[in-house]
Amino acid sequence: MQAYIEALGILLQPANFLVMYACALVGCVLGAIPGLSGGLGITLLLPMTFALSRELSFSMLVGMYVGGVSGSFIAAVLVGIPGSASSIGTCYDGYPMTKNGKAAKALSIGITGSFIGTFVSIIVAMLCSGAIADIALSLGPWEYFSLCLMAITMVVGLSNGSVFKGLMAAFLGLFLSTVGADKVTNTLRFTFNNTNLYGGINMVCMLMGTFALQQVATAYAKGQQDMPPVDTASLKGFGLTIKDFVSNAKTIIVSLFIGLFIGFLPGMGSGISNLIAYGQAKKMDKHPEKFGTGYDPGVWATEVANNAGVGGALIPMISLGIPGDGTTVLLLSAMTIKGLQAGPMFIKTNPVLAALIFLIVLVSAILVFFTELGTKRWFPYLLKAPYHYLFSAIMMICFMGAFSATTSIFSVYMMIAFGILGVVMDMFGMPMTPLMLSFILGPKIEEYFRTGVSYARGDYSRFLTRPVSLIFILIAIYSVVGPFITKAIKNRRAAKAGDIK
Amino acid sequence: MKKINRTYVLGALGLAIAAWIVWQASQIPMRLVANEPGPRFIPYVSAGGLALFSILTIIFDAPKEAKKGTKPYLDKAGWIRLAIIIGESILFALSMVYIGFWITAMLGMMLFIVTLKRNKKINWVVAILLSIGLASLCYFGFTRGFNIPLPKGELWEALGIAMP
Repeated sequence: MQAYIEALGILLQPANFLVMYACALVGCVLGAIPGLSGGLGITLLLPMTFALSRELSFSMLVGMYVGGVSGSFIAAVLVGIPGSASSIGTCYDGYPMTKNGKAAKALSIGITGSFIGTFVSIIVAMLCSGAIADIALSLGPWEYFSLCLMAITMVVGLSNGSVFKGLMAAFLGLFLSTVGADKVTNTLRFTFNNTNLYGGINMVCMLMGTFALQQVATAYAKGQQDMPPVDTASLKGFGLTIKDFVSNAKTIIVSLFIGLFIGFLPGMGSGISNLIAYGQAKKMDKHPEKFGTGYDPGVWATEVANNAGVGGALIPMISLGIPGDGTTVLLLSAMTIKGLQAGPMFIKTNPVLAALIFLIVLVSAILVFFTELGTKRWFPYLLKAPYHYLFSAIMMICFMGAFSATTSIFSVYMMIAFGILGVVMDMFGMPMTPLMLSFILGPKIEEYFRTGVSYARGDYSRFLTRPVSLIFILIAIYSVVGPFITKAIKNRRAAKAGDIK
Repeated sequence: MKKINRTYVLGALGLAIAAWIVWQASQIPMRLVANEPGPRFIPYVSAGGLALFSILTIIFDAPKEAKKGTKPYLDKAGWIRLAIIIGESILFALSMVYIGFWITAMLGMMLFIVTLKRNKKINWVVAILLSIGLASLCYFGFTRGFNIPLPKGELWEALGIAMP
């Protein structure tokens, strides 16, 4: 409790508070514009954190994170195009509501649902993270290695497209993480006598290239589409009554748990939780036929679930050092930049900072809620943002960020190279998140594996004989092989059913 | 013209990269700490994984792509646009070294705005003010506010001109 009181004092300092609020609003705008995201905003902010205090850095980044997730429903409701994958399900009922003249109500549900999801999930995260970290302290390098492995394979197994291409991306990321001086023996690897590579590939350059530069380049090459016009006549009023909350209470509670649980699992971010919650809400409802026609529970379910993923994803990041989704990968990078080791010891050694991160989410969610409610009628203007100005600014900030990461022009060339790699991967249909995740977790994987083998005096079987480690490895294997087994079983059943007929 | 199956290309590329990693990793000096697998181990694992899944993608994904038909990633104009934006990025990076970040950022942003606008009209006053304003804000914010150095430009140094 003492840590939270101290953290609140830090958060209420004008600089921290204003920066958090400003970043939450910018995150909201970025989240609302299809093609941009809060994650992109975090990437652009990463270089600034070099010169800022930890407190100010996390006020910026976490504020951006909360705003980014919250704002993604705006385009989904107003024009039927999701701001990000986390609001795909919102399009199904949110946009029909707008077409039916209920835009104000749909937006109010989006705003309120986002707030409930974030607020409750972060309270749960505050209560659970310490306990999970305590359990994690009893684990050894064998379990941590298996946990990291599981996180990567789960991301691969659940990412869009081919599992094999996802695994190729993961192994490529693992290889890239080995460039530079090896941490155990200090042996130089893949540096080609280039001193710029002795410290390894800079994380900021890699993220800026594969995340920001690649997005701008492919959006321009593919031809960015303008947003369709929005009917602003139906945007007046709050549109929600107490009755709406009461009648949708069951959907809200169930979606909250779905979002929280899925956010907690590595790799299963809000892109999946909103669709699962939508499906579950449809299953539970007395009128499933109304879903897809502009039905309130559809919007409640998706918006509560995707925002509940914020708290869910922060639990493993803070307590285990394992990011729950692509955006928490970026937050984990920020922790590394600031010299912090996320994981079970983080809460013990930095209780105030851990409390601060949770409080930033909580306070940002409240501020975003009231700001969104007050500015709802101006939302259509967000979608008219001129891409050529936005993208040009992003490009310029990328160059500045890449240079300042190491104060070397080599970093800028590396960023361009990673931007090209990102375009090539996009062309071949390789997902980006496994590459980023295994690049970030690669050094940990190597360290845990080698120290694990060393502690076990060369016995590799220790990874399989320790029960918790074995469970993680089995989950890792299942997350890759599982979809194939399920598909084979389904095919066999379908074939049998066909034979009987 | 027959379209190339992109998954075959990816698989072949993956195998080539894996072979290169193995070759390079074999040249890493082996310094062993007691009972541990050494600095070559993870590079070998990453090469092995890359090779294995390159083969599997050729076996399982390539026929699917062949069945569905390969859609072009970009049309000819798209490839030209991609080349332009990458070319401009390289130009930006080189220009940072010679004329410094501040001037490069102002000119570069203008260039990006003109390039990215495609067939839309741009408000030149907004574009110029935004380029100068944002470039200056970033440059002075970083160099003066955060004390993070940004390149001043080798050309100005050679000419003895002091840039802010």
